[in-house]
Formats: sequence, structure tokens, C-alpha cells
Amino acid sequence: MTISQITASLSGSRPRVSRRTLLKSSAAVALGATLPLTGGTAGQSVPDASGSPPAKGKVIDCHAHLVHHSRATWEADDRKLIEAADKLGIDQLCCSMLTPKRPATAEGFRQCNQWTAEAMRRFPGRVLGYCYVNPGYGPEALDDIRRCVEERGFIGIKLYNEHTCTEPVVFPVVELAIELGVPILHHAGHSHYFVEDQPHMSDSGHFAELARRYPEMMLICAHITGGGDWEWTVKAARHAPNVYLDTSGSVTDAGSVEMAVTTVGAERVVFGCDMSMTAGVGKIRGANLSAQDKGKILSGNMMRLLGRRKS
Amino acid sequence: MIIDVNAYLGPFAFRRLRHNTAASLLALMDAKGIDKAVVSSAAAITYRNAQAGNEELMEEACRHRDRLIPFAVLNPFYAGWQDDLKICHEEFGMTGLRLYPKWHNYGLSDACCAELIAAATERNVVISIPLRVEDNRQRSWLLNVPDVPQAEIVALVKAHPQARFLLLNGAGYVSSALGRKDNGLPPNYAIEISRLTAVLANELGQLLTNLGPDRLVFGTGMPFNYPDPALVKLEVLDTPEPDKERIRHQNAATWLRL
Repeated sequence: MTISQITASLSGSRPRVSRRTLLKSSAAVALGATLPLTGGTAGQSVPDASGSPPAKGKVIDCHAHLVHHSRATWEADDRKLIEAADKLGIDQLCCSMLTPKRPATAEGFRQCNQWTAEAMRRFPGRVLGYCYVNPGYGPEALDDIRRCVEERGFIGIKLYNEHTCTEPVVFPVVELAIELGVPILHHAGHSHYFVEDQPHMSDSGHFAELARRYPEMMLICAHITGGGDWEWTVKAARHAPNVYLDTSGSVTDAGSVEMAVTTVGAERVVFGCDMSMTAGVGKIRGANLSAQDKGKILSGNMMRLLGRRKS
Repeated sequence: MIIDVNAYLGPFAFRRLRHNTAASLLALMDAKGIDKAVVSSAAAITYRNAQAGNEELMEEACRHRDRLIPFAVLNPFYAGWQDDLKICHEEFGMTGLRLYPKWHNYGLSDACCAELIAAATERNVVISIPLRVEDNRQRSWLLNVPDVPQAEIVALVKAHPQARFLLLNGAGYVSSALGRKDNGLPPNYAIEISRLTAVLANELGQLLTNLGPDRLVFGTGMPFNYPDPALVKLEVLDTPEPDKERIRHQNAATWLRL
């Protein structure tokens, strides 16, 4: 399955929050700045895997989750996610499904990925799948990644907190991601205390170290505003050009998106919600950035990453 | 018309804030279509003598009383709070308070707090309580200030049925008595929306059902927060327009007696 096939089919429903309002840097406009208010990814040339022209005007949430089927309401909950995306003007959701209990077993993550594949079929063009694995399972993890990407059309790999990303056990997953040309979305956080329930959590400093080892990889640092010190997170990623910052998270601290752009460049910031939907959309809408930069964040950068897929 | 019951001026000890002068906040409000905002001193959260923050706030906001509604930060565990209340109410014309029990290290059930609430109620002064200032996971290495537990708020509103409370920066009310239907609590509190969900779990919708449309008030937490997420919530909330108008400004006007 090609990226153009994956991204071609979109719902025709009319969002209540339009891409135009997301692109509009309303604070700057009202404060006197003149901004181009385009409806597409202005100035962007984003190829997809087929080499066809870029999709204009999309909004891609790089970080979303499907509900595990052990929850009785999973089907309705997944439907609510699509409905929320409809209301908020989000065209595509890059989704993974995590096991309720972690560390995940091989059986557990394989089942999650099977259900993710089903959701991709249930919501064609709306749900793009990340293959979630626990790298500790070695060949079983690698086999499922290869199956998901090559046979099921998944767009990337989701890693959580089973292992810190700089542990050697993670390296084969990284090397397979490079081989397949897909990004890794990695759970992250940096607090100034030991987070007891996540002893192996990675932060952007770990990502920078891993990125130096593998300069070809595409690594998305999850939810910079997911609760930790986002200023630390942004600064630690500065000199790692293949680390991208995902804007998702429930924290809506003013200035966080602008600092990310100022520090690493708009080309390395990607829009996400991680299920904090109005927070995610509101942060981008409120950020005092040019329409061009918002276009890159909302979809241009993610399209560029997805366009590097090799199969 | 939009009234924001949850805004601030001045510096915060642990993070740079933009739009924290009166002129800059007003420009941001203009950009977002927010007509009036209740403001208190962000510096007073960490000043030992909170009254110094109230004085700074007045210097900053006094020329904009048509749009900025100043609230006093008081610490009932600190010397002279009775004098500070009198000055803030009678001289500064402040009609509301903000309390930070966890940051100022007292309990909402402490005698000193009960005395302050009684004195404020006697003056018809509304009492707002931010349940958090910022997400505790991003805290400085210097301190660890927990959120105000909702169980403590439940006890507070029960103990002071004549007082009027505005609850700010909270979420998860539907999991406590505060957000449940027929909860047996006096209707002496309103809930500000900045951290409530309007899609997926849709806590805003649940609270509208459980408490009715008169108990929710608009707030952003600016300039700590982007104001836009709160505005987006109202845009996507599935409720009739008259209810949205109540949330945007009518309820705040009633609670603030504007």
C-alpha cells in the first residue's frame, strides 16, 4: 500500500474548526502583523511515496491511540475519536494501540497491531497505523514490524517505555525502521525527579544520543507538553536534526510551540494531540507563528517523513 | 461577550510568561475576542508576603478597570491578612480572592482559612481556588506542590454554604461529588472550563447535564496557558447556543455580580 493510497480517502464532513483558523496566527494578526492566510501548506513541496503532488490542506495528528478491545466501549470510543477529529478539522490520525498492562508481551502487542489494522480498514484514510512493539522481544518484535509495514500498510513504529531508547536491545528496531524508511514515535518525558512508575522512560536527551548513533533514523519525540519540563525537552533536542518534536499533551503552556520552532526549526515540529484534542488544536491555533510554519507543523513535516517510506 | 474568570498578570517564579502586562494581556484579549478578565498576581503565588503582589497588580491594572477585574491573593496563615483584605476590598475595590492553600502551606479546613472565608463572605467577596498552577510533573527541583484534592473542596463548600466559590484549573470533577448530579452539596460553587474536555470523555457536557448550565464559567488560565484551547472547547461543545452564552459570560457576570 502506498502513502498516496493511505492518505487518499478522507471524510467529506465539515469541521467546526477549520484549517484556516488553525493556520491563522490570530494573536499576531490582531497585534498588527501581516500574515498570509492560505488554506494549504504554503511554500511546501511534500512528495508522497508515489511521487505525486503533495496533498494540500491536510491536518495530520501524529500521535493518537485506539482503544484496546478489553474495554467494552472500544468501538464507540474509537468512533468518538473520529467524530472529534471531524469537529476539529483533523483529517488523519496516526494511531497506535497499547496493551493495558505493560511491559507488553509479544502476544499482547501482536494483538494490538491486528486490531489497529482492522481500525485502518474500518476508517480508511482516517486512521494511519503505528506498529507498537516491546523491543525486548527481539525477533518477534521485528517480525511484527515487518509484517505491519510491508503487508498491512502501517506508517511507522510506536515505542513506549519498556526500554530506554539507548539500550542496545532497541537498536535492531531502529535499524529496521531505517531499512523500511518509517518513523518511530517514542514515548517521552523529562521530570526533575525519578518517575517511579516509568523507570525506563526516555527523554529527548536520550533521543539525541540515539540520533547521533543513527543519523538516518526519523525519531519523533512524543508529547513535548505531556507533563514534563518542556523547555528542557526542547533544548535537549536542539542539536539532533533527525529528532522531531510532537506538540501533543494535555499541558497548554503558552509559548511552548513557539519555543520548539525557535529552537529546532519549524521543519522539526509535528502536530499531535495524544487524545488531548482541544488542547492540541488550541496550542497550534494560539501559537504566534507564520502560516507557512503552521502548515509545516500541521501536515507538511509529517508528509515528508511518511514520504521516505521504502516499500 | 466573553468573560475570562481565570487570568493573571506579573511574573511567575518558575517560567517566563508572555502577555503578563496589562497592555499585552489586553492586546491578547482583543485578538481572541475576550472582553473582560479576572486577573490576580502571578508573583503573589510565591511571594512570602502576597499583599506585595496585590499592590503590584493594582499598579498594573488600575487604569483598565473597565476590562480587568482584579482579585487579591491572600494567605490566611500570614500576618496581617485581615488588614490586607480590608485594603484590597475597600481601597483597591477588589471583589474577589484567589487562594493557594498548597502553595501557601495551609489547609482549607484550618481555622485561619475558615476565618478568612467568613470575613470574605461577610464582605460579599467571591473566593476562587486554582486547583493547580501548573502540571506537577514539570515542577522545579526546588518544590513539590500537589494539586488541591477535590475531597478538600467538597468539605469546604459544605462547611461554608453562604460563601461563593469559583473553582479554577480543575478536571475530573465528574469523578468526585463536585460534578455529580444531586450531590447534596450547596450550589455555592461554579466550575471554570480551561482543563475540561469537550470531546471524547466530554466532561463539559457531563457537567452541563449533572449540574445544569448555570454552574460553568469560561476561563483560560492566560497568560500561563494559550487562551485558544478554552475557546476551541466552546466551539465544538454540543450544547444549545443559550447554554454557551451562559458559559461565555452570563454565569460569570452573575457570580461576579457585574
